[in-house]
Amino acid sequence: MLKGAAAKKGSATVLLVLFLLATASAIVVLKAATDRVVRKKLPGSSIIYIPSGKFLKYATFGYGTLAADVVYLWAIQYYSTPTIDDRFDHLDHVFAIINELDPRYQDPYEVGAMIAVQEARDTRAAFTILDRGAANNPDQWVYPFDAGHIALMNLKDFPLAEKYFAQCLKIPGAPAFVERLRANAIFKKGDLKTSWETWLDIYKRAPDERTKKIASNHLYNVKATIDQTALEDAAAKYRERFGRLPADIRTLVRTGLLKEVPKDLDGNDYVYDPATGKVTTVISPWRR
Amino acid sequence: MADAIRIENLQKSFRIGFIPKTREILKGITFSVREGETFGYLGPNGAGKTTTIKSLLGLIHPDAGTITIFGRPHSSPRSREALGFLPENPYFYDYLTGREFLAFTADLFGLCREEKAERIARLLKLVGLERAADLPLRKYSRGMLQRAGLAQALVNDPKLVVLDEPLGGMDPIGRKEIRDIIVRFKDEGKTVFFTSHILQDIEMICDRVAIIVGGRIVKEGGLRDLVSEKVLFTEVTVSGVPPLAFAGLGESISAQGDRVLLRVYGEARVDEVVRLVHDSRGRLIALSPRTETLEDIFVDTVTRT
Amino acid sequence: MKIRAIAGITFKEAKRDRILYLLFFFAAVGIVASRVLAILTVGDRIKIIKDVGLASISLFGVLMAILIGTGLVYKEIDKKTIYTLLAKPLYRAEFILGKFLGLVVTLFVMTAAMTLIFLAIAYAHTLKFEGRLLVAVAYIFLELVLITAVAILFSSFSTPILSSLFALAFYLIGHLSWGLELIIKKMQPGAGKVLVRGLYMILPDLENFNFKTEVVHGLTIPPGIYLSSFLYGVCYTAFILGLAVLIFRRRDFI
Repeated sequence: MLKGAAAKKGSATVLLVLFLLATASAIVVLKAATDRVVRKKLPGSSIIYIPSGKFLKYATFGYGTLAADVVYLWAIQYYSTPTIDDRFDHLDHVFAIINELDPRYQDPYEVGAMIAVQEARDTRAAFTILDRGAANNPDQWVYPFDAGHIALMNLKDFPLAEKYFAQCLKIPGAPAFVERLRANAIFKKGDLKTSWETWLDIYKRAPDERTKKIASNHLYNVKATIDQTALEDAAAKYRERFGRLPADIRTLVRTGLLKEVPKDLDGNDYVYDPATGKVTTVISPWRR
Repeated sequence: MADAIRIENLQKSFRIGFIPKTREILKGITFSVREGETFGYLGPNGAGKTTTIKSLLGLIHPDAGTITIFGRPHSSPRSREALGFLPENPYFYDYLTGREFLAFTADLFGLCREEKAERIARLLKLVGLERAADLPLRKYSRGMLQRAGLAQALVNDPKLVVLDEPLGGMDPIGRKEIRDIIVRFKDEGKTVFFTSHILQDIEMICDRVAIIVGGRIVKEGGLRDLVSEKVLFTEVTVSGVPPLAFAGLGESISAQGDRVLLRVYGEARVDEVVRLVHDSRGRLIALSPRTETLEDIFVDTVTRT
Repeated sequence: MKIRAIAGITFKEAKRDRILYLLFFFAAVGIVASRVLAILTVGDRIKIIKDVGLASISLFGVLMAILIGTGLVYKEIDKKTIYTLLAKPLYRAEFILGKFLGLVVTLFVMTAAMTLIFLAIAYAHTLKFEGRLLVAVAYIFLELVLITAVAILFSSFSTPILSSLFALAFYLIGHLSWGLELIIKKMQPGAGKVLVRGLYMILPDLENFNFKTEVVHGLTIPPGIYLSSFLYGVCYTAFILGLAVLIFRRRDFI
């Protein structure tokens, strides 16, 4: 009888354990079933309740930099998950939080801008992030540089590129080649006079032969472009007046349409094609 | 008659402290309580009295040994259907009134509504809490809580009543009342098992006792068997006889005016003292044989172990 | 029934706890304040009211469940009222279930009260009664029931402060299950992935009870999820309670 009691108690425990196993398996099965059901998601709703960075800064009680790290780590995973289709909807918001929590954390600015440009195809967000980076870190030349680069290569917005490169040059430590990028941007935007002056300035201050050569090539190019334009304009005017293209450049000088025969920077003549009225240089500016 | 409680080789150790050190509390307790008897469980503090009771009630799981209550294994809740328990310091839900508390207890026993009402009324009268029945328990004094505790132990009209130090902390009137109630249990045929420090009370009402020291039962048996009728000495109070007359017969304990109080060892000597008093024309005022009390046994047993 | 008796006194005890009314007060303030906040919004005002209302009921409900639940069993042991209780012909499981039921009833009353205020405010704004709000609240309540079971589980062997922390951790883990899902997707197949996957299946996923987003934005809820979520909640609660009973049975009350 007493053994029976012990057995009963033991059997109650066994039953209990079996019950636990049964419910545990039910849990696993039900979770799998619930996972399979596809729930409608709001675009960007996966992070719909993330508050602003300013608020988070206070809420993290002085652990702002650690929080920035955590959020950044999460963001990297999040943005490299291709299955979340709407992940770029709050790109700037997310990086704003990271930047707000730790304004001196440099990687997120660059990486955020890169994600914006390469993956989200949202250059506006990229500029917002980089501007913030520049504002929070006035000693870092890389942010206006990146911005200028995006403007130059992706947007082909040359005035914007020039503005950013100029901003970059104001920061001590900015590399020399930024000057050349700026000069090139000025050229590309069409302001040939300023472009010439800028390149001339670079040429005069060139610290080594290589830079001098580059500057010289660009100067050649600028002059060639100026001359080219003038010559072709004159040729077109000649055709208007005389009904046909001139035979050579000297004809233009004789008829007063041109003051003198322009020479390229090396002192050579330009090559004129009487059939088309187009002018080219005798040598490529980059092979001099 | 069946055993109300039967404990065999009960063992329990506790692991105490962060680096567990095992302390053996019960080292193999064996005793039984027969149905209908009033059983006293004595021992010095820390001997294991409360641990035994808690094991009995299922509050503690024994390491080894068996316990049955009216033949049922103690691990089954059914074994407690005919059991009533009053703990040492009653702790109850202080937000319930006395009546609500008894009603709750009745629910736990599954009493039906008519039974409930009748029994609660009767119990409140029995313990003298009728007037305080609708006050919350937190307003009760210690004595009142003790009474409420007794009432809740009797809700199911139990065959076995277990009381842990029921007489502690009460004034002499209260103690008398409780003693009377316990005697009443005996008349009703109930089995009573209780622990107490107040040995005079145990002597007054118990049929059998067990003494536990250091986790072992060192003495068990009927009260009459343990406490022999043996006379240790006789106290004789006389007057009119000079104390010196008793030299060699008895010890003079005190002398007040004419009266002398003597302690006389041995029945023969007592007879001689009486004859002496008679011959000296003195007066024999009092003669009281002093037998062994439970306290003597208790102290003797404890100090010897 | 004995479970009902214990549930009854638990309800009596719980409703005396001032924390309940303090939290209720804050919830009510939150819900009413949503009406004020809505005025500051540009655009859809009712969204703010629904958002704040449901969030208040959810948040304060969880706090109620944890703060009261973690004290329930511990108080009985600490105040030694459990001695007389367990000396009765009572299975220890009945004790745990009674406590659980008592607290569930308490939470039901509080949730119903908060919901009433919430629906009144929503009705006052839209002059329409939206049944889907009740659906969201119902599943919030299911989540509260599960958290209650967890609070009681920890209360049966730990102090109130530690129990509260554990229960809170359970709640947070339950809402971050999707993070685990992301990690699994990125892991290389192998023992590690199997382990993490196993963890993912048994750790609670409380987002299954979260229909707040769908209700607030008027998205459709696929009907299959009602049943599977409900059963998931019930089974998980049963599991936790079973665990609590298993642990509580082995306890010695020194």
